[in-house]
Amino acid sequence: MRLTLLAILLPVFHAAYISAREASDYFTHEVWPKVGERSCLKCHNATGEAEDSRFILVDPYRQPPDMRARAESKNLAAFIRFARMQKKDASLLLQKATGGLDHEGKTVVKPESIDHEILVAWAAHVTDNTPLPKRTDTYEPPSFFQNVDMLSDQRLLRRITLSLGARLPTPAETKRVDKNGLGGVMTALDHLMEEDSFYARLSEGFQDILLTDGQDQVPERIFGYRNFGNTRMWHQGVDFEHIEDSSTRQKAKYKLIDDYRESILREPYELIEYIVRNNRPFTEIVTADYLLVSPYTAKGYGLFDDIKDQFKNPEDHLEFVVAKLPQLNKRDGKPDQVTPTGLFPHAGMLTTFHYLDRYPTTDTNRNRLRVRKFYEHFLGVDILALAPRVTDAAATDTAYDNPVMQAPDCVVCHRLVDPVAGLFQDYQETNSDFGPYGPLKEGWFKDVFPPGFEGQTLPEEERWRALQWLGERTVEDPRFAIAMVEHVYYFLTGRRPLVAPEDINDPTFNARRRAFRAQRQVIEQVAQSFRDSDHNLKIVFKELVRTPFYRADALTTAKYHPQRIAELDDVGVVHLLTPEQLERKITALFERPWTRFSKQMKMLYGGIDYKEVTERLADPSGAMGAIQRIMANEVACKNVPYDFARPPDERRLFPGVEPGMIPGESEETDLALRQGVAHLHRYLLGREDGPHDAEVEQTYQLFCDILHEAHTQKTYPKVDIYFCKAGEQEGPRTEDPLYTVRAWRAVLTYLLRQREFLYE
Amino acid sequence: MRRDFLKLCSLAGLGFSLPVQSARTSAEPYAGPFYVVFNASGGWDTTYLMDPKGVNGINRLYQEDAILEHGPFKVAPTEGRFEQGMSNENFFKRYEKELLVLNGLDYSINNHTPCMRYMATGKLDSLVYPTFAALVASCKGSDCPLAFLTFGNYSNSGNLVPMSRVPYLPSLKLLANADGVHGNPKAPYNDAFVNDRIDQALREQLDLRLSADLLPRTERAQNMLFGAQISSKALKRVAPFIPDRVPKGRLEQQAEIALAAFRAGVAVSANLNIGQFDSHANNDRDQMKLIPEFLGGIDYFMRRAEEHGIRDKVVVVIQSEMGRTPHYNQGEGKDHWSIGSIMFMGQGIRGRRMLGATGTKQELIPLNPKTLAVDIEKGIRVRPEHIHRALREHAGIQEHAASKRFPITVDAGSELSGLFA
Repeated sequence: MRLTLLAILLPVFHAAYISAREASDYFTHEVWPKVGERSCLKCHNATGEAEDSRFILVDPYRQPPDMRARAESKNLAAFIRFARMQKKDASLLLQKATGGLDHEGKTVVKPESIDHEILVAWAAHVTDNTPLPKRTDTYEPPSFFQNVDMLSDQRLLRRITLSLGARLPTPAETKRVDKNGLGGVMTALDHLMEEDSFYARLSEGFQDILLTDGQDQVPERIFGYRNFGNTRMWHQGVDFEHIEDSSTRQKAKYKLIDDYRESILREPYELIEYIVRNNRPFTEIVTADYLLVSPYTAKGYGLFDDIKDQFKNPEDHLEFVVAKLPQLNKRDGKPDQVTPTGLFPHAGMLTTFHYLDRYPTTDTNRNRLRVRKFYEHFLGVDILALAPRVTDAAATDTAYDNPVMQAPDCVVCHRLVDPVAGLFQDYQETNSDFGPYGPLKEGWFKDVFPPGFEGQTLPEEERWRALQWLGERTVEDPRFAIAMVEHVYYFLTGRRPLVAPEDINDPTFNARRRAFRAQRQVIEQVAQSFRDSDHNLKIVFKELVRTPFYRADALTTAKYHPQRIAELDDVGVVHLLTPEQLERKITALFERPWTRFSKQMKMLYGGIDYKEVTERLADPSGAMGAIQRIMANEVACKNVPYDFARPPDERRLFPGVEPGMIPGESEETDLALRQGVAHLHRYLLGREDGPHDAEVEQTYQLFCDILHEAHTQKTYPKVDIYFCKAGEQEGPRTEDPLYTVRAWRAVLTYLLRQREFLYE
Repeated sequence: MRRDFLKLCSLAGLGFSLPVQSARTSAEPYAGPFYVVFNASGGWDTTYLMDPKGVNGINRLYQEDAILEHGPFKVAPTEGRFEQGMSNENFFKRYEKELLVLNGLDYSINNHTPCMRYMATGKLDSLVYPTFAALVASCKGSDCPLAFLTFGNYSNSGNLVPMSRVPYLPSLKLLANADGVHGNPKAPYNDAFVNDRIDQALREQLDLRLSADLLPRTERAQNMLFGAQISSKALKRVAPFIPDRVPKGRLEQQAEIALAAFRAGVAVSANLNIGQFDSHANNDRDQMKLIPEFLGGIDYFMRRAEEHGIRDKVVVVIQSEMGRTPHYNQGEGKDHWSIGSIMFMGQGIRGRRMLGATGTKQELIPLNPKTLAVDIEKGIRVRPEHIHRALREHAGIQEHAASKRFPITVDAGSELSGLFA
């Protein structure tokens, strides 16, 4: 222990002797973030590939806050020690980093690169006190959220209820937040997470991630012909002959198949809902030894007769119950799969046919696509995100008999991927209509790394339940909890968490790294709470909405240093609502939907089809700007005359305003109109403006200007346009002798085109 | 204070948190050049197109003696082997004078996602670089409402310009008349002065908001939103160019949308894309269906560009993210191969040239970057960064702040001199 301490401290003391502060400062801002952390730490840590080397580093951000300084000192000491070690008259650190002295990690710092220059300069400084170059970044940041204003508790409540519950806060919730502050918000969230609309949002969020709706074939074919060929088309045997009218009969047939397909596609998300709604460990997303079935999908599996008593309404295609499939049989009834339990080895999402069908395999792909998706969805790792360049990939392919097990360039990834691919071996049927179940007759490939996970080999006795074995290990991996937190972060903000900056030439590199670190720290803390709660996903929602990342709203003071701007670049939700979210918001505020978001319109408005287009657009294009104008025009048109036509105490938009009120009539009228504008700001935009605030003044001025301009015209129609009638199709057009209804329509159009309405 | 802010941001390369779209409306249509990237998604078999191989069992449809020659090009024979689309024979005959073909492009790796990213951006090891189509759109016309159109393929915009997806031709009509009931310009929701007042109020509100201390994301969103809504008014210029008839082909539909947008001056670039080239099974059947479809779509685009009167203003890149192995797998398919080809034609591109080569095992033969001749001794492995650097120069955007924000570097002396000239 003493020796170790001495080994750590001696170089530090020596560094102190030469120019401790300067060396340490340069190390902290240049060497560690741009070289150590990026290039050395991933292998040279206590459990990394270079764990047996003498150069062991510590990730300060994985230490408790009070231990970070010690970890940083330890890293500094390690670097100093290795910078001073000489071999062949050159620094060991520099030689190893550039691939010399048989460095197993090969070249991690390219000669003459920026990071190499940094390392060379620093090594020279700590060995012979050569002056260091001036640091590229001299910015000293404040604490991360200093001068960032947070949403008030009431606005936080509104954001949460609209985002997750598709509704406005109730009066009781508002009152409770007035009284209890954030505690009231959390209580509201607890209640909201019991509501169906929350689960609709949860399903929608996971659909965006898992994309199982983007099937290549009609949904009933997800149930493979090999095992369900006798039952999957059960709907074709339903007798409709009792319906006399042929058109009605045909419609009934179409409805049945539509319901069946809807039921099939919902199945994976019913599993997720079941886990969350019942506060079960969310680890079951990959470990559940059951599935959820509806009466319709149960028939597709040939399971209905065994479980029909569990359904409250066997005709309800959206009622789901827990079930277990028996081991799979062929169509002739003979066993196709033999398991010790006699049951199909369910492993949550991993064994749903939807998931396996959405990410199919081929003879040469050998389940690698599935592995990529498995890592992405359940461990938060994109194994192809930054695939390393190969000097000559084509030559590598031809130079080795079996590159994936022999060529170092290939082995580095395939050693990770192919064992997991082997765990999917029972689902190797490449004809998606026939499978996905279908082990190879000749057994799994021998020219790949054997089935396993992260260095563990699948025991032969576990082979029949290989994906259950994988699921159990997945949830033990610390990355699982982090990946689930990242999914929820995506639901809440519409974007993925930050990734570590890569470009060290970027003058804002350190600022961006700091932002990444600040966000990562929060995600890891929430992941810990998630684990501590036995993986209750509701905890993740509750923890994340409390964080400053979800609540950040504005700057309280001008801090225009570019580094500060770069740090805060991703802070704040500021998320363009998806077409689905916008439609729900319109419904919540106006009590009826817009109804124009057809499948095509959704795509135009940045939506996805889960198949070819899988990323939602985050920024509005001109096409989307046009849709916003259409929406604002139509929603204002349909709702302003409609609201005025209701009794004042039933109005949502204009409770204190009448069409007969004209600005300038009296001070009382002007105040009422301003209050009417402030009410619209509050109701539609969630703003807390007073009747004389600048933004209200602008809106009020718009109303006044339009009236003024209309009244200076010699004539204008005394009724509003036909399309904007308050009533149904029959009946007169809306009287508007003073042009006020149209002016309020313009005000509403203006407000509906604003960021606070179109974003969250 | 705002001026100081602008200056500082500019110094730090943060100009993109500022307005990316000013309010160019109907007054200034973008006049070209127009950039189009045709992408064969999934990985094309170049030996069935511009890099034929009749030896070593590389393909099963023809032998060496059947390889065709059109001017400087060697072309795989495909006439009579497919039902719909355009044969290589006809394509190369029609575009011989305009085409520039580069064989022996090193994709460097052979997985779809990184290869797509690499080919689209010229940068393998970054998740944030913009595609060339997005970059050129931001440099030349970020205030166009549909500056960067995409129909698929990797489409990262680098936060420089919003990407536009307009997959349905009829929907352009609706968008073109957003202030009319059901898109009818003769039935406006509001009197014209009301719409002007609303836009004016939004503009004043933007000024008010930007004078406050906004978070960078909020400021960016505020700008983007205003720009999108105001610039969308220019979409009315598209209406006259929307054809009554919707073509059936996948690329043809995309071509009509892109051309209408180009002709109206509301778009700068477009990614046109068709998929399913990933022929791990039944390579010959799939490639013989898709390559003619692909060429047919390109031909359709060029002919319609001619009819629109903008053919001399288009710059066309024809690519895929990878090639296919020089051997068949057990399923009669071909797997991923990291060597491939790329083609170009259009404004400022000297055609009738075939550069680079692959060998009899479909291996890359290095190219001398100075002479553009194959050169095993002194040649380089031409990679996407070389192509993108040349494309940026060709477009004249290499010195633009956006390009400098996302630099493409190559080893000194390896720049492809005169690739397009």
